[in-house]
Amino acid sequence: MKVQEFTKGILKRNPVLGLVLGLCPVLAITTRVENALGMSVAFTFVIVLSNLLISLLKRFIPRDVRIPTFIVIIASFVTIVEMLIHGYSPSLYEQLGIFLPLITVNCIVLGRAEAFASKRPVPETLLDTLGMSVGFSLSILVISFLREFFGTGKVLVFGHQVVPGLLSSPATGMILPPGAFLVMGILLALLKKARVI
Amino acid sequence: MVGKKEVKPVAVLVITCVVWGALLGLIHGATKERIEEAERAELYRTLSEIFPGAQFSEENGRYVCMENGEVVGYAVVVEERGFGGRMEVVVGVSPEGTVVGVRVVSHGETPGLGSKITEEGFLAQFGGKRLEEIALKKDGGEIEAVTGATISSRAAVRAVRKGLENLRG
Repeated sequence: MKVQEFTKGILKRNPVLGLVLGLCPVLAITTRVENALGMSVAFTFVIVLSNLLISLLKRFIPRDVRIPTFIVIIASFVTIVEMLIHGYSPSLYEQLGIFLPLITVNCIVLGRAEAFASKRPVPETLLDTLGMSVGFSLSILVISFLREFFGTGKVLVFGHQVVPGLLSSPATGMILPPGAFLVMGILLALLKKARVI
Repeated sequence: MVGKKEVKPVAVLVITCVVWGALLGLIHGATKERIEEAERAELYRTLSEIFPGAQFSEENGRYVCMENGEVVGYAVVVEERGFGGRMEVVVGVSPEGTVVGVRVVSHGETPGLGSKITEEGFLAQFGGKRLEEIALKKDGGEIEAVTGATISSRAAVRAVRKGLENLRG
């Protein structure tokens, strides 16, 4: 068991900025820091649990049908989490509600199942998915911070103003879809230039 | 001939789906009531934002709001198509037929633009208005649209009108 299995997901193989995977939900929800926080929690929960299960069951899953099996497991986890949160913590559901189903189509979860969990032992899978979760969360938090700040001129998290309103005329375009691509592109270019990823 | 090689993948897939399907069914059954209860509580919380201190009872899909045994208003949940999909709006109306309050429960409008229709600044305009007055200013009514979000604003107006018409009829 190596620490690299954990740390690689944060920088070198960062799922969003390094592997450039799962962009659909990333671009859709990074309009606010608050949304990114919610997505991070839900994503971590689903990727860790579903991949642990896949790693446990890998001997029983035939190669030919591995992808549909993984998808069934991931989608079921998402649905179960959604129903439990909806029933037992309506306030949390209100925050996470729309992001939960999006995790099913997040190809990072499937990608890790295919590339890692289905081949490696359980402890390594745990490290790998935790690392990926941290990498994913950091990326979307940075992107959403930049978008919310430049798009609305301030950053609000659960009603607390984290960053004071510095911009008098914010660029609303930043919280619209084109803003997501702009921020993403500039970040990727800078990180490539600095040879971080 | 169909050999073991062909059967196994199919069998595993079928078993996977059956097991997870059953599990989902079980959990759905176990959480169904709680979810409905949570949604009702949520709706009543929204209603008491419009009618503070009132008590609510459901009657043919509309909500009667009572305070000290007197009817202070009616409320209804309406759906309307907005710019980014379905929006759900709660409209509270006084017994005289004027709008008491409007709340957007769910919507799919553009964040930062259309989503401003959920803010008090826009919704407060409906307060005290009658059906005839409810239309955007550019459509000859008295409601100021959210800048850059005419379609969303118009959808909200349609929702409120629909709510008023439902309660009148």
